[in-house]
Formats: sequence, C-alpha cells, structure tokens
Amino acid sequence: MSVVLATYNIKGGVGKTSAAVNLAYLAAEEGRSTLLWDLDPQGASTYLFRIRPKVRGGGRKLLRGNSDVAALIKGTDQEGLDLLPADFSYRHMDLALDSFKRPTRRLARVLEPLRGEYDYVFLDCPPSISLVSESVFEAADALLVPIIPATLSSRTFEQLEELLNGGGAAAGPAILAFFSMVDGRKRLHREVMERLRAQWSSVLEAAIPASAEIERMGLRREAVVAYAPAGKAALAYRSLWADVQARLGEYPSPAR
Amino acid sequence: MPDYLLPRGMTAATASRALAERLPVRAGSARVHARAYYDTFDGLLHTAGLEAVWEDGQLALVESDGDQIRARAALPKPTRPLFTSDLEGGPLCDALKRLIDVRALLPIIEIKCRERPFDVLDREQKTVVRLRLQQPALGRMRLRPRVHVSAVRGYDKALARVSGELGREGFEPAPRPLLEEALLASGGTPGGSPAKIRVRLDRSERADRATAAVLKALLAVIEANLPGTIADLDSEFLHDLRVAVRRTRAVQRELRGVFPPAELERFRADFRRLQQETGDARDLDVYVLEFDGMRALVPEPERPDLEPLLEVLKRRRAAAHRRTARALRAERTAKLLAGWGELLDGLEGVSVEGRPDARTPIGELAGARITKVYRRMVRMGEAIGPDSPSIDYHELRKKGKELRYLLELFGAPLFPEEVVRSMVRVLKGLQDVLGRHQDREIQVTMLRSLGPEVSAASDGPAALMAMGMLVERLEADQQEARGAFASRFEEFASRRQRKLVKDTFP
Repeated sequence: MSVVLATYNIKGGVGKTSAAVNLAYLAAEEGRSTLLWDLDPQGASTYLFRIRPKVRGGGRKLLRGNSDVAALIKGTDQEGLDLLPADFSYRHMDLALDSFKRPTRRLARVLEPLRGEYDYVFLDCPPSISLVSESVFEAADALLVPIIPATLSSRTFEQLEELLNGGGAAAGPAILAFFSMVDGRKRLHREVMERLRAQWSSVLEAAIPASAEIERMGLRREAVVAYAPAGKAALAYRSLWADVQARLGEYPSPAR
Repeated sequence: MPDYLLPRGMTAATASRALAERLPVRAGSARVHARAYYDTFDGLLHTAGLEAVWEDGQLALVESDGDQIRARAALPKPTRPLFTSDLEGGPLCDALKRLIDVRALLPIIEIKCRERPFDVLDREQKTVVRLRLQQPALGRMRLRPRVHVSAVRGYDKALARVSGELGREGFEPAPRPLLEEALLASGGTPGGSPAKIRVRLDRSERADRATAAVLKALLAVIEANLPGTIADLDSEFLHDLRVAVRRTRAVQRELRGVFPPAELERFRADFRRLQQETGDARDLDVYVLEFDGMRALVPEPERPDLEPLLEVLKRRRAAAHRRTARALRAERTAKLLAGWGELLDGLEGVSVEGRPDARTPIGELAGARITKVYRRMVRMGEAIGPDSPSIDYHELRKKGKELRYLLELFGAPLFPEEVVRSMVRVLKGLQDVLGRHQDREIQVTMLRSLGPEVSAASDGPAALMAMGMLVERLEADQQEARGAFASRFEEFASRRQRKLVKDTFP
C-alpha cells in the first residue's frame, strides 16, 4: 500500500508545488515508485514536467470512476516518477464533488486502484479550504504544509491545526509542517520559526530557503534537485525528505 | 518492448548517426557498464520476470521487460552466495525475501556493455522514449550490438513511431533479451535449473517408456543439485535432491512391474542408502531454518536461554553436511547415478520377461496405481484414532507422499488437470496435519537426545529448562495436529472424493 502525502496550504504561493515536485523526485531517486497527482487546475507541476495539462474525459469523469485512471498516467523524465496531470476542468472540482454521494471519499477512491503500484503518492493541492481539501484530508496519510515564517502565514497554519486536530477527530491525516521561503537574514522569520517550533510538535526541523535557484524551476522546467543537486535548495529538500520519512516512521513496504 | 539488433555489418558509430538523423533525440555520452547478474539456482527471479543486477556498488531488482526498478540497495559486490539475511532490512530485502525465501542468490553471468543513451524528445523537449545503444561483451566474446528500447508510460504512440522508424532503418527485433542471449552464448540456460519437472506423456504410450522418461527427468534434477549440495551453497540443493530421490523411489516401488526385478532391487537398495545418507543433514537444516519459529513457542523471557541449543544444532548440522558431502562425492554415488541412467536409457530394449507392466499403456497403469494407493490410504486412515501410535500417522503420511508424487508425475500429464489439482489440494490439507504431527514427534526426540550435549555448555542448565518448556509446547501442538486429523481425513475420504477417484482413474 502506498503512502499518500499531500502538499497543502490554505494560502497560495507558499511553495507547495516546489515541495511536491522535489520530494517526489527524491522519492523516485531512492528507487521508490512514485506518483504525483497535480490537482491544481493551474497545472504548475504538470508544466514543470513538460507534460500536457490534459486528462481525457476531464475531472468529473475521473472522479465518477468512469476513467481508467492507470491509462491517464504519464511517465516523467525521472525514472520511477509518474504524473497524473492537471486538467483545466479541475477548477470545477468542488462542484463536481458536491454532486456525488460522500464527496469527501472520492479522491481516495480514484487512488484506490493505484495504491498497490506506488510506494508514494504525492497530491499537489490547489490553495483553498473546500470540498477538494476535505477530500484530500480523507485520502492523505499526511499533509505536508509549507509555512512562510511571517505572522499571517503562521496564523493560517494555526487555523489548520485547529481545523484538523481541534475537533478531536482521531482519524485525520498527520500534519507535517515545514518552513518555506525562509530568509535567514530577517529577524521576524527567525522569531516566528522559533516560536512555532516550540509551540507545535508538527513543525519539522528542515526549512526551505527563499532562493533564486528554486524560482528558476519555472524556466528550467525541472526539479531543482535535478539541475542543482548540490545547491543549497536541493540540500534543504533532501533534509526535508529525511525529516518527513523519519516522522512517517518505518519505510513503507514496497508496493509489489 | 523487444530490443532491436543492429543491421548486420552496421557499426555502432553508424547506428549512432542514424538514430540522431532519423529521430528527435538528445544523445548522452557513452559509458562502459559492468553488470553482474544473480539468480537462485532454480531461477526464481527469472520465473517472476525479474533480474537482480549489481552495478557500481548497488544491487537492483529490475523487471526484465521494462527496466522498472522494483527495489535496490547499496551493497559491495557479492562474492559468496547471497542470502536475504545478509541484507540490511529495507525494500530490497523485503522484495527478495518474498521471492527467494531461504535460497541464495548466485552469480549467473557478467556482461560488459558499452552504452550510449538517447532520449527521444517531443516538442516540449520531454523524453517520450528511452533508447540505449549497447555493445555487449562476455569477456572477449562480443555479442551483436543492439538498441534497448524503454517505454515511458503514457507515450505509446511515440513508442510505436520509434519502433516503426527502427524497422525502416533495417534494425530487427531481437529474438530474446540481452541477459538470455548472453546466457545462451556462454553455454548456460536461461531460467536456471528448476526442480519441478513436467514430462509430456501420452496415455497410450507403453508404460516402461513413459516411466523411464519421468525418471530420467528426476535423475537430471538429482545430478543438477549434486554440486550445490556438496558445496553447501544453500539448504535447498539438498532438499531438491532429496525430493527427487524420494520421487524416484516412489516410482520404483509403485511401477515396479516395468523394471527387470533383480536390477530394480539393487537400485532400490542403493537409492535407499542415498536417502539415508542425506537424511540427518536435511533434518538439521530444518531445525536451524525453523529455529526462530520453535523459539517463539516458549515464553519471551526464556527465549535467549535457548541460544546454546542453537549452537549445538549448528555444530551438528555442519558435521552432518560434511558426512553427506563425503557420501555424495564417493565413487559409489557416481556409479549409482550413471548405472541408473544407463538402465533407463536401455529399458525399452530389455526383454519383457519378468516385466509384466512394460507394455501396458501408461494411462491404464498409472490410473490403477493412483486408485490403489488412494484406497490403501483410506483404509489406513480409517484405522487411525486419537490414541493410535505415532507410527500409524507417519506411515499414512509416507503413503500420502507416494500418492502425491503419482498424481504430480503421472496424474497431471495424463488425466484432467482440474481433477488432479483438486485432489492434490485435498491431499495437501491432510498431509499438512500429518507433517506437523510427525515434525513435532521428531523435534521432541531430537531435543531429548541433545540434552546431554547442551547441558555441557556454561549456560546449560537454563537452556535445559527452556528446552523442557519447548518439549511441552511441541507435544501440545502434536496433540492439536491429532485433533485436526479427523476433519481433514474426512474430506480426503469423503464420498465425493471416492467418486472422483473412481470416475477419473478407471
């Protein structure tokens, strides 16, 4: 059975896609069969892998369970890493989900036939708090939550903690938060990081720096861990991946 | 996707140019890969469609027809038989354990391959097919260069275009994958040496010919497993050898009417000796392999106390293997196998006098024997009650093995497959219980006999106490097996089974 990890934040532009793409790449590089599902209609991770943002039949058909999901998957340039591409119709995913019985179980059901095939499934989620995100919470074993260490972002994180763990719901996904777009020169960043780490055990040690190297991903259309494997950003993603694996506990058993 | 062989006479350099001209590729630089391939002696990985490949400090488990890596781990190049217990825990260890269990991975071949990668790109500069131009060699022997084609998931049309283009350029689909090609070129056999045999038979064939064909296949298994048993590469060489000997003896006994009686008697005695000479080593193999399971029968705090017992077992096992190896290396074993082979080769030409079943159609003879052994087992089983001596259970189990061999060796090729399969399944259910009963019997006897040797160790007294507990648990388990016997036997001897036997093996 695969481990399902979703990069998620209510806010946009905090480094979700970069994290999903780079961590998925690192998982595949380790020899784990890995799938990345780009759920964001903007299709940023699909674009980074140079794959056409198109799903035959569109999002609704896929959610309904009428598409052969395995046939929609595309291999990326990294061996062992496959992509289920974004589709522009995903912008209506909320509406589509709302038309089903038990809408929050839909994503998990789409993934069901693939769970024997992949060691890891990454979900790159659109920023929102909606039926889509609730479906993601249902499908994921853990949420990887990037936080920019500034007051507002950290408030959003606290809201998310409240939402998922405040209600006493036991079966929700684990939250693994990490700092993103960190500028070590800013005192505010340092202070917020210190405070949140002290307050929340779900905040990981590894932090991703704000860096031009990462921004260049859009130009290079590759994972930064692929084109600058020894750079600061790549090292940060590697230690993030190590932290995530350590938190997940034992390695997942191989899919086959 | 098959590989493509370069057109005869085309050099790798020309092929390189052709690929670059005909296809939108990004060429990488050439590199020499030295890859060592491993499999179990009986080709378990090959059977599963997998290859274990060592290269650059890594052992990888790769799908033969798609290059997908199932698992890999950093590992120095194996120079001795590699067991899963030699690997650190992790995906590779888990995957291999499921596939090869207690067998060892042995080196099968090393291929040196000069390789140049070509990524076929689409308009977005994304890789849609991967090609590798390969110039493989085995030592000094060069194999014909080829283009290895790997599909990228979701890009089938691009793959079809590339195959079409290669075909038009005169590249021909390779008849077999590189590993198989290399094994054949070096005189090896792809798939190794499986211990399961399947001999095609015809119901009307004369019995002596059919029997000789089956026995020759068994003799080949014995001979194939002999060197690995002597070298003690892993426990299954000896096991497979012994199973083949036991099957041989069952056929000798059940189909004795196809052999010249005097010669058969001599060979039966010799094979019995061979079976006896290898028995201790196998028993001790099983104790050592299953020690953890046995240890789990005593309460947790006492488990470490059993360590001296394991040491004694390992010592005895090593000594038993030395004795077995000596016996198998002896001239008399070589003579026995050679002589048996000769008899089988010439069996059809031997006068039929004294061989009443020689010309009987094998379908008739095998069917009659299967019926007879089945009925015999039913009678034996009916006589067994909860208080019967252990030997009765044991005798029934031995007969059960004979029936199983007859079903597998002659039943499967001659009679409807689904009937034979269902009979084997029911028989197996019964044999499992009988096997457990007998194993416990032997284990208890063994533990009692080892007492003096274990007590001599420094922590002997604690070990003896733990062994006492173990004996109790084993005896209780044996009783449970007795309890389970009745229902398994009932199914085996049910009206439905009897009718099935009667209708199938007239």
